[in-house]
Amino acid sequence: MAADSDPESEVFEITDFTTASEWERFVSKVEEVLNDWKLIGNTASRALEKGELTTGIWEEKSDEISFADYKFSITHHYLKRGPLTDKEAKEGSEEDALPEAMQDLLCVDNDFPPRAHCLVRWYSLREFVIIAPGANSDAVISESKCNILLSSISIALGNTGCQVPLFVQIQQKARRMYVGVCEGPGVRTDFEMVHLRKVPNQYNHLSGLLDIFKSKIGCPLMPLPPVNVAIRFTYVLQDWQQYSWPQQPPDIDALVGGEVGGLEFGKLPFGACEDPISELHLATTWPYLAEGIVVDNDVYSDLDPLQAPHWSVRVRKADNPQCLLGDFLTEFLKICRRKESTDELLGKSAFEEDGKENTDITHALQKLTDPGTVHIPRLSTMSNIVHSARKRMHRNRRVEESPINNEVLNSILLFLFPDAAEKAGEASDVTPSTSCGVGMAATDEDYNLYSQFKSAPSNSLTYKLALCLCMINFYHGGMRGVAHLWQEFVLEMRYRWENNYLIPGLANGAPDLKCCLLHQKLQMLNCCIERKKARDDGRKQLSSENASSSSIERKLSNNSSDKEKKEKGDPSQQKSWDSWSDSEEEFFECISDTEELQESDKKEGAAKGERKVEEGKKETQRWKPEGRLHQYGNMTLLRMGELLYIPVTQEPAPMTEDLLEEQSEVLAKLGTSAEGAHLRARMQSACLLSDMESFKAANPGCCLEDFVRWYSPRDYIEEEVNDKIGNIVLKGELSARMKIPGNMWVEAWESAKPIPARRQRRLFDDTREAEKVLHYLVGLKPADLARHLLPCIMHAALLKVKEEESIEDIPCVRKIIQQIVTHVSKLLRYSNPDLKKLEDIINQIIASEAIIARSRSLQAKFGINKCEKEDEREELERFVSCLLEQPEVPATGAGRGHIGTIIYKLFVNAQRAATLTPIDDEPRKPSSERRPSSGAVPEFPPPTGREIILRTTVPRPAPYSKSLPQRMYCVLLKDDFRLAGAFSSDTSFF
Amino acid sequence: MDEDVLTTLKILIIGESGVGKSSLLLRFTDDTFDPELAATIGVDFKVKTIAVDGNKAKLAIWDTAGQERFRTLTPSYYRGAQGVILVYDVTRRDTFVRLDNWLNELETYCTRNDIVKMLVGNKIDKENREVDRNEGLKFARKHSMLFIESSAKTRDGVQCAFEELVEKIIQTPGLWESESQNSKLRLSDSPDARGGGSCGGYCSML
Repeated sequence: MAADSDPESEVFEITDFTTASEWERFVSKVEEVLNDWKLIGNTASRALEKGELTTGIWEEKSDEISFADYKFSITHHYLKRGPLTDKEAKEGSEEDALPEAMQDLLCVDNDFPPRAHCLVRWYSLREFVIIAPGANSDAVISESKCNILLSSISIALGNTGCQVPLFVQIQQKARRMYVGVCEGPGVRTDFEMVHLRKVPNQYNHLSGLLDIFKSKIGCPLMPLPPVNVAIRFTYVLQDWQQYSWPQQPPDIDALVGGEVGGLEFGKLPFGACEDPISELHLATTWPYLAEGIVVDNDVYSDLDPLQAPHWSVRVRKADNPQCLLGDFLTEFLKICRRKESTDELLGKSAFEEDGKENTDITHALQKLTDPGTVHIPRLSTMSNIVHSARKRMHRNRRVEESPINNEVLNSILLFLFPDAAEKAGEASDVTPSTSCGVGMAATDEDYNLYSQFKSAPSNSLTYKLALCLCMINFYHGGMRGVAHLWQEFVLEMRYRWENNYLIPGLANGAPDLKCCLLHQKLQMLNCCIERKKARDDGRKQLSSENASSSSIERKLSNNSSDKEKKEKGDPSQQKSWDSWSDSEEEFFECISDTEELQESDKKEGAAKGERKVEEGKKETQRWKPEGRLHQYGNMTLLRMGELLYIPVTQEPAPMTEDLLEEQSEVLAKLGTSAEGAHLRARMQSACLLSDMESFKAANPGCCLEDFVRWYSPRDYIEEEVNDKIGNIVLKGELSARMKIPGNMWVEAWESAKPIPARRQRRLFDDTREAEKVLHYLVGLKPADLARHLLPCIMHAALLKVKEEESIEDIPCVRKIIQQIVTHVSKLLRYSNPDLKKLEDIINQIIASEAIIARSRSLQAKFGINKCEKEDEREELERFVSCLLEQPEVPATGAGRGHIGTIIYKLFVNAQRAATLTPIDDEPRKPSSERRPSSGAVPEFPPPTGREIILRTTVPRPAPYSKSLPQRMYCVLLKDDFRLAGAFSSDTSFF
Repeated sequence: MDEDVLTTLKILIIGESGVGKSSLLLRFTDDTFDPELAATIGVDFKVKTIAVDGNKAKLAIWDTAGQERFRTLTPSYYRGAQGVILVYDVTRRDTFVRLDNWLNELETYCTRNDIVKMLVGNKIDKENREVDRNEGLKFARKHSMLFIESSAKTRDGVQCAFEELVEKIIQTPGLWESESQNSKLRLSDSPDARGGGSCGGYCSML
């Protein structure tokens, strides 16, 4: 065709690919892939280090090729190695060096790798390519097909000069049959394989296998160079005998029966329910034997495992052992995905019967409009009230309906609210600061964890609630139990709000924004209770006093003493709070607090006037000072010359993060215009105004300058000026920005009336905020609740794993914990964490739980606790910790070492049990006396597997050929017999 | 314009009263200077979109009142901020001395610990300087902050301060990405992921 389009060019030969067969295309495709992967030519590289095939990092590349419509996958497996140093590169660049793969056939440093691809195990390869039938293709079974494949790869290797061995997988996949070729300059290695179900009798020992090897080599030389032998026997221990799994699963029946101490609720369970170690494999290895040194034939064997120079141990871990903590977490996470509301779970009746709940919600609105509602608490003891509360809680629910039985529920509630159990007198004194003492004592690390996870301090109420819900979910009624407990919890919250009992287990003060929202909400509720309580206590005191005495004079004298007390000045928060509430009584005659607020500004003045008349002071500026906190240094009022007092001020409103979000959104929405900014300032000036009013009340006759000197001292500028006579005097004035006419500070100052904080409108409406919180709590579905508490649960779980790890001291678990902490803190930073990812993390936690359980299992099995000698104990501990982290661990001293002795006993006991020999009469023999044939019962079971590697270097096929490496690997199992041979031959001289 | 905005960043401005926080912000957002700017009440808020390294970032800047009394109110707004500008007045040593208190406050109220902090010494146009540039530098180094001196009046350093801060925030991984860009979990490098119940090629044997 090309010729036609260009008639002038002379064409001598046309290479025609149009008739290329499928086979040719397949071969060229293989070549193409080999080229793509740059596997062409001699790739010089360092000799392998001992064990490098196991410890190194293996990588693989894959591609898909097809033979006609038959799909194959072609995969390159290789050990990742660093680049060569110059010196090494020089050494490796011999012209006709053997391909790496052939050199490695003789390498004895990587025999029996504990963890490797089977081809690596058989041939000790560091790099190879496999062509295997694609995922959905049938196996290559027929001999002719196998041969075509083998020919194809030979051609491909020949064409490309690739020295990496190339294998094809034939027969059924599970049989792992591979044939392959490796080509080098003038040399070639054929990889061949025999795989049988039964071990033929004549090959069931070393001498039979040597016969096969020798005949296969077919070496013409006489005498034959000695064959190098490496042998490994593997023994499997499944029966651990008296070393039964040490951990008992928790007695679930006991828990169901309600015999639960408070202690258990605060703890997460831990450990595996079944033995996480299922088998122990002992490998006894003879790494270097020359042919003829040992005898092993059908009648006699020198191969006594106790005499083997090298012992190594591996343990087989149970697949996914059932772990308690993991189960707890998994089940808890499931709640997050549920949709049901509390009503749906407990039945409509739950709320209807609890009519109180409903009426309270409807009352909420009423209360909003009526913040001054006076609560007169009943005068009853705490224990009385708690008792009646419980009764009220349980009264309405029929016993058979509740998912949690009463006893369990009571002990949970007692665990959550320990103050309810205390005696009446003490209980009424419970303050949040004492009840959260435990939480405060938490370590720095714990502190970090809770702030990282945004959970709550351990031992806080929120944290404990999370643990209880987790347990309820697992043992007591699942989702319904959770809904039930939550309902009880909310009832308790309302009860505490209405009766002025502080909630225990929460840190004092405003909501901690580092904690989860639920915790903040509870803290908020506590703030409300605290304020309401202070207010009500004040009123109560007042009314009792009112009843006892009607004399005004007496009260006035009270006033003055009170005032004195205050004037001494105590800046501490608590004190100021007290004095505020105490001072309620001082103004008992102003019963119309609320009235006053409702009335307009003008009337306010009139009310003041009344007071002034009462006290007989008619000067307008000289009204009686009210609500003083303490003196402000020695500062005096600029105009009056009297001492300047810091007033008692209103505490700022506590905020939870969602309220804050709302508020900043509102503020941000005002925009960035001047009007917006002005409006924003005005909205926030309530606090400023309140402070100004308090200040005015405390400092009769004060001016804005006085206020600014306290409130924003840098805005009062003092200068030394020379007066007319030449004296230096201090002259002060407001800063320029405060003097701007009509600025908000001036404006606020002018509109501020002298009203002490306690008679001002509340900046923080605790009634409203408390109702909002309670409403929020009622509306939470179990799933919402679980999501809220997830951080606490993760936090608790990690603390638990940490605690358990610290007993065992397992470095790899510490590493996992670190990773988990990082992941979790990233994940939980957002309000709606990805549950899928949390599930992954829970799996990680399960993994570490399993590792710890394994460690415990191994420690019990190897009797670390029984070990008395210090050095032996240390050796054992090291050994056990290695078993957890490494695939295979050598036992120092082999059969004669301390560890060897223990393992030996394990096997002997198992063996005796299997043959029903009583263990009791077994005298412990000193190790020197041990012989395999010493008793009627063989002390060691027959080996489960035998591996034998035969190696030699001989010229092949002719005596004058190059001497080349030959190797045969043999595995003998109960019903699996495999010979994997690599036989090299000289392709130039044959 | 909002479409090509890479992210919205929350920035705080804090420091003693009268050090020029609002003036800095006004200079940055409106490029004006008002010698008679009223004292801020509570918090104020401004928005500006800037381009750093070709990325557009929308800044929501919260300006706070410096007065002691407002400090019970303003820290609530520290929540979720990615960057903070801590301002002092180079002509008033007391505003510099109080910086430690502000850092404590940040420590207490900030919800994240990787927040980017910048120290700004303002009012360098004035002559009666009391705090040396080196002192500012030393303080910033001690607390791993960015540092710059500025004048809202002469606009020295103002633009630069904000830009540096934003750049730093964008360079800090995990600080500004939204939830959806949440980093992928890698759990595979744990020891158990390798082993499990099976033991790789070895099971050819047993």
